[in-house]
Amino acid sequence: MTSLRHAVPSRRESGPREQFMRVAALLRASMAALALFAGSAAAQTDADAALIERVKEAVLKELRESGALDRAVDAGVERYVQRQRAAAAQREQREADARAGSLRPVSKARDHIRGNPDAPVTLVEYSDFECPFCKRFHGTLKQLVDRSNGKLRWVYRHFPLEELHPAKARKEAAASECAVELGGNDAFWKFADRFFELTPSNNKTDIDAVLPRIAREIGLDETRFASCLASDRYARHIEEDYQNAVATGGRGTPWSIIVSKSGKTYPLSGAQPYAAVKQLVDLALEEK
Amino acid sequence: MSGYLKDLRFALARVFAFPAYLALAAAAAVAAFLLAVWFPNLGLIAELFRGSEVPLGAKLGIAISLLGGIATNFSLLSAGYTVAIAVLLGASTAMIVYLLQQGRLASAGRNIAVGSGGAASGALGIGCAACGSLVLGAAAPFAGALAALPLAGAEFGIASVVLLSASLLLVGRSIARASACSLAPPGSTQQG
Repeated sequence: MTSLRHAVPSRRESGPREQFMRVAALLRASMAALALFAGSAAAQTDADAALIERVKEAVLKELRESGALDRAVDAGVERYVQRQRAAAAQREQREADARAGSLRPVSKARDHIRGNPDAPVTLVEYSDFECPFCKRFHGTLKQLVDRSNGKLRWVYRHFPLEELHPAKARKEAAASECAVELGGNDAFWKFADRFFELTPSNNKTDIDAVLPRIAREIGLDETRFASCLASDRYARHIEEDYQNAVATGGRGTPWSIIVSKSGKTYPLSGAQPYAAVKQLVDLALEEK
Repeated sequence: MSGYLKDLRFALARVFAFPAYLALAAAAAVAAFLLAVWFPNLGLIAELFRGSEVPLGAKLGIAISLLGGIATNFSLLSAGYTVAIAVLLGASTAMIVYLLQQGRLASAGRNIAVGSGGAASGALGIGCAACGSLVLGAAAPFAGALAALPLAGAEFGIASVVLLSASLLLVGRSIARASACSLAPPGSTQQG
């Protein structure tokens, strides 16, 4: 027993010299293996490559036959689709948040509201008095609010496109604000309704004749109306509306944003048909 | 001109005798029409279809009802040229694909160039149809110039119809000529 213990010394019993000898032996063996491998590498390359190929084929065959490969591919595709969906949803949320964040909150004191002021759904329209499509859309929105049973309020904001309707569109927007100053919110809507009835759009309006005529028809003090119009005191107000339209994504008129009670927004560009706007309003009504 | 029209009639009859080309033309025309009418609200449509909360029926209902915009968001002139552009683009596409299938790459390339010009011009024309839909977008620097045009930008739509018609006539001629043996010059012997 004793001699055996000396012949095969346990690790606990081996001293530094034995340990050094063992490491040296291991190194020598590794060097010899490397040399042998290097020497025979060329000879073994073909055999190894063939072996690797056989192993690959066997593994792939096993994966295919067991269905594991299909399952792995399916899972990968599913994960990719889910990642894409999540990214799209995040992007959508970011865009909606940005739009909702840019949209100036509706103010009963500043904005012109038609319909129930406390309605659950709001349609903010950015409009230009000289735009023929705004003229058309005005009728659509009137109809929509009238039939909404108090569930929709329509907010009118100015978006005069100076590039298309120089001078006139802004002057008309200012005139509508003068109507508010002299006659309140109702006067604004009377002005807008009558203006769109009377005028041909596309910068063909004879504003010197039409504006005083509307002021007279809707019962405003003509002298004060003319004085207000000459003062240009609503230029900043109109510019703020214009800038807000651009900030919310407006690129043409009419530009509308439908807002649900929870704050979800649906952007709508152009004079779209009654059915389309109605469905978007219904969708916003369903939002909790 | 009558020669071109005669060639076009022949080419149309030849290409659209194959239902596959008819289907391709219809698909391209419908795609162009949908793109034109939905153009101002592509963002809204994408948002609706990406959102999982909205029922599919509601998504489809809104997308389909927005097609009514051709009557409310286009003038009579712009609606007219939008439909014409869609039809011409569909027919041109199918006929150019027919030329490519026949291996007539040079003719097809020429017609693709003319047709692309027509399509690009059409995009501008359609963009101008809605009130300033491009005014604050990419074409902002040209907005004043557009407004100064007698038809406020509808000229692009009309130019598109002209270019696509020209493309169709050219491609018609290419197809008709490829199908006929030319008269041999005197003194030569014509083969085939």
